[in-house]
Amino acid sequence: MGLVAATQAFFKLLFDRELSDSFQKMLDGELQPRIEQPNLQVTTTRPKPDPDPVRSDAISLLAALQREARFLDIVSESLDEYSDAQIGAAARDVLRDSGKVIDRMFGLVPLTDAKDGSQLETPTSFDPTEFRLTGNVAGEAPFRGMVAHHGWKATRCNVPQWSGKSSATMIVAPVELEIG
Amino acid sequence: MEPDLKYIIGIDLGTTNCVLAYCEFGQSQKDTGPRIQLLKIPQLVAPHTIESRLSLPSFSYLANDAESMDGSFDLPWASDRRYATGEFARARGAEVPDRTVGASKSWLCHSKVDRRAPILPWNAPVEVAKISPVEAARQYLEHLVSAWHHQFPDALIGDQQVVLTVPASFDPVARELTREAAVAAGLPVEFVLLEEPQAALYAWLAQQGEQWRKTLAVGQSVLVCDVGGGTTDLTLIAVDEEGGELVLRRVAVGDHLLVGGDNMDLAAAHLVAARFAENGTKLNPWQSVSLWHSCRAAKETLLTADCPNTHTISVLGRGSKLIGGTVSVEIQRKELANLLLDGFFPLCNLGDRPQRQPASGFQEIGLPFESDPGITRHIASFVSKHCSNDNGDVNLPDHVLFNGGVFKATGFQQRMISVLSTWSGAPEQDDGLPVQPLTGIHDLDFAVARGACFYGWNKNSGGLRIRGGAANSYYVGIETAGLAIPGAPRPLKALCVVPFGMEEGTESHVPSGEIGLVVGQPVNFRFFRSNARKEDPAGLILDHWTDEELTETDSLTATLALEGSDESYVPVTFDSRITELGMFELWCVRAGDEHGGDGKHPGQWKLEFNVREID
Repeated sequence: MGLVAATQAFFKLLFDRELSDSFQKMLDGELQPRIEQPNLQVTTTRPKPDPDPVRSDAISLLAALQREARFLDIVSESLDEYSDAQIGAAARDVLRDSGKVIDRMFGLVPLTDAKDGSQLETPTSFDPTEFRLTGNVAGEAPFRGMVAHHGWKATRCNVPQWSGKSSATMIVAPVELEIG
Repeated sequence: MEPDLKYIIGIDLGTTNCVLAYCEFGQSQKDTGPRIQLLKIPQLVAPHTIESRLSLPSFSYLANDAESMDGSFDLPWASDRRYATGEFARARGAEVPDRTVGASKSWLCHSKVDRRAPILPWNAPVEVAKISPVEAARQYLEHLVSAWHHQFPDALIGDQQVVLTVPASFDPVARELTREAAVAAGLPVEFVLLEEPQAALYAWLAQQGEQWRKTLAVGQSVLVCDVGGGTTDLTLIAVDEEGGELVLRRVAVGDHLLVGGDNMDLAAAHLVAARFAENGTKLNPWQSVSLWHSCRAAKETLLTADCPNTHTISVLGRGSKLIGGTVSVEIQRKELANLLLDGFFPLCNLGDRPQRQPASGFQEIGLPFESDPGITRHIASFVSKHCSNDNGDVNLPDHVLFNGGVFKATGFQQRMISVLSTWSGAPEQDDGLPVQPLTGIHDLDFAVARGACFYGWNKNSGGLRIRGGAANSYYVGIETAGLAIPGAPRPLKALCVVPFGMEEGTESHVPSGEIGLVVGQPVNFRFFRSNARKEDPAGLILDHWTDEELTETDSLTATLALEGSDESYVPVTFDSRITELGMFELWCVRAGDEHGGDGKHPGQWKLEFNVREID
C-alpha cells in the first residue's frame, strides 16, 4: 500500500502546481503540515464503532500453516545442530500436514498437462505469466521447447476469514499455556 | 408440489462428521440424473477464524466465558456464542476433553441414560454447563441449517425436501430423539429418515446409473459394511425380480456395534507408544494426541497396496523447538498390519461368534463399547443369522459395498473379501473370489449424504427405491394375570405389535385379547425388539424366548385420561403404525374404538418412549 500511496502522491505533486508549491515550502521548513484540532466539545453521541479490522490473508495463511502443520516452527529453527535424520523425521510430518492445508485452500494443479521432458508449443498470444522461456530465446511466439517444469495453478483461494480485534491483526499463533 | 420446493437435501448426521448434500428439484434432470453437490459449511477453525469445509466434525466445545468473550466464537449468522461446533471443537477435544462433547450420537441410542438430560461431556467437572445428547444433535443440525440459509437465503430449509440418515440399527427411541433434535434445529417436520447403509448403496447406484442392472443379478445379495469413526453398521440387501424388473430389498440389519476407525487408531497408538517407552521416551498427553493423528496417517499408508515395508512415526516437539523435541520410531508394516487386521478383521470361521468378555484396555466409561472388536466375527454372526435358508444352508452375499473412512486403508477391504470368500468353502473360481466388492467411484467420506440426496430425488421422480420396511419385529411385554407367587415375578409374555418388514406408511391393528389399563395414572409397557424372529405375525404371543432372540429397549408409557367418565379401567387393544417418514408409533385403542383412525379420537392414546434413566 505504501508504494501505491507514494505513486499517487508523486503524480498529484507533478500535476498540481499549488500543492507542489506548498509541498516545497514544507520541505524547506516554512510550512508546518496542517494538524486537525481535536474537537474538545463533549458530545453525548457514542463514537462510531471501529470499522472491522482487516487482517491480511497472508497472516491468515501463516496462522493456518502453523496451527495445522507447525510450519513456522520448523522454518524458524536453526538446522545447524541437527542431523539430516532428525530434520527428516520432523519434516515428514510438517510437510504432510502443510500439503493438506495448501491443497484444501488452493487446490493446486499443474498449469499444463504436458509431462516434464515433453515438447510444448506456446500459443501465438503469448503470456509471460504463463510461460517462462529459458535458453536460446529468439523471434516471436509461438515458441517451442521442452517442458522443464509443468508450473502450478490454484483452482481456488479459500483462506479462512478472520474477525478479531485491530490490535491482533499481526498475531500469527497464540501463546500456549498449560494450566494445572 | 409446494411452490417453494427448490432443492432436495440429504444430511448425514454422523458420529464423527456431518455432511450436507443437495441437488436441484426438478424433472429436467430425469434423463441425466441429479447433479449432487456438497454444501460448504463455514465453521470455526480457531477463535475469530472461519473456514468453509465440506464436513462439520460432530463435536461441541463448551467454552469457558473468558475464552468466548469478544465474539471470538461468532459465526457469520450468530454472535455472542459460548460454544463452538465443528473443526475447532474437534481440535479442542484433544486439548480440553472435559469441555468437549464428542460421539453424542452413540449416546442417543444408549438406553441406560436419560438422553434429554445434560450429561455430556460425560464425567465433566461441575463448572461445565453440560448438554444432553439430544441438544448436541440439535447444535450440529442447527449449524447445518444456518450454513444452508447463509448460502441459500431464498430457499428456506423448512420448504425443502430433507432426508436425514440414521444408523440402520437405531431403535425407534433413537429415531424419535433424532427427529426431536432435527425439528428443534429447524428441519421441516415432514423430513424423511433413511438408514445409512441404504444411503451408501443409493450413492453407489447414483454413480452407476443404469449400469447397476448389469452388475447385480436376480437372487444375489449385497452386504453393506459401513465402518465409521465410532460405529459399525451392517445391512443385507437382496436383488429380486418383480414383473420383469429388478428390485432391491433390504432384508436384514445388524446390531448397533460400537467399534470403528477411532478404535483402530487408538490401538495403533498404543502399540507405537509402547515402542517409544522401550526407547525410554514417555509421551505426555499432548504428544499422545499428536501420536494418534500420526497413527491414522500410518494406517492409511501401510494398509494400501505397494506400501513401504517400514514407516517412521514421529511425534513433534511440543515447544517452538520442534526438530530438537521430535522423537520417532520405526514401525514395520507387518506389525501394524497384523495388529489392525488381526485385531479388527481377524481370520475366522463362519461358525465363530463375537467373544463376550469383560471390557479391557482403552475404553471410555459410559458407552457400551463392543467387548469384541473383531468386526469379521460380528459379520460371521450376522451372515449366519440372516443369510441361511430353512435348511440351515448359508447363502453368502455375492457382493460387499464398503463404506466409511476406515476403508481408505484398502488392506481392510481385501482382508474382508478374503475372509468372506473362505466361508464359501468353494475353491477360487476362474473369475476371482466368490465374494466381490462393488467397485466404482465411491466417495467413502461423503457417500451417505450424497446417497440420501439421491434417495430424496428418486422419491420425487419415481425412480428406483430400495424396499425396506421394519428391520426388526417389535413386542410389548404383558404381565400375565394369575395367582401371585410370593417372591416370584409374574410371568411375562411378549405380544408382537410390529411384524418384521412392516412397510412405511402402513398401519396394523394388533389382534389380541383386550388388556385392562388403569385410567389417570401412567401405564408402562416393557418393549422388546428382535431381528431374528422374522416370521412372527402381529398379535402372536411368545411365552418364552432367549436373550439372543429378543432385546429389551426403552419402555413405553402413556397416561390414559377419559374426560367426563368415572371408569377406572379401560379395555384396550393396540394399533401400530410406521409413518411415511419412517417413524414408529404405537397406540392404545379402547375396545370398540378401533376404527377411529385419525388419532384424535378420545379413545386413542399414543404410547411415548420413556427415555428417563431407570433406577
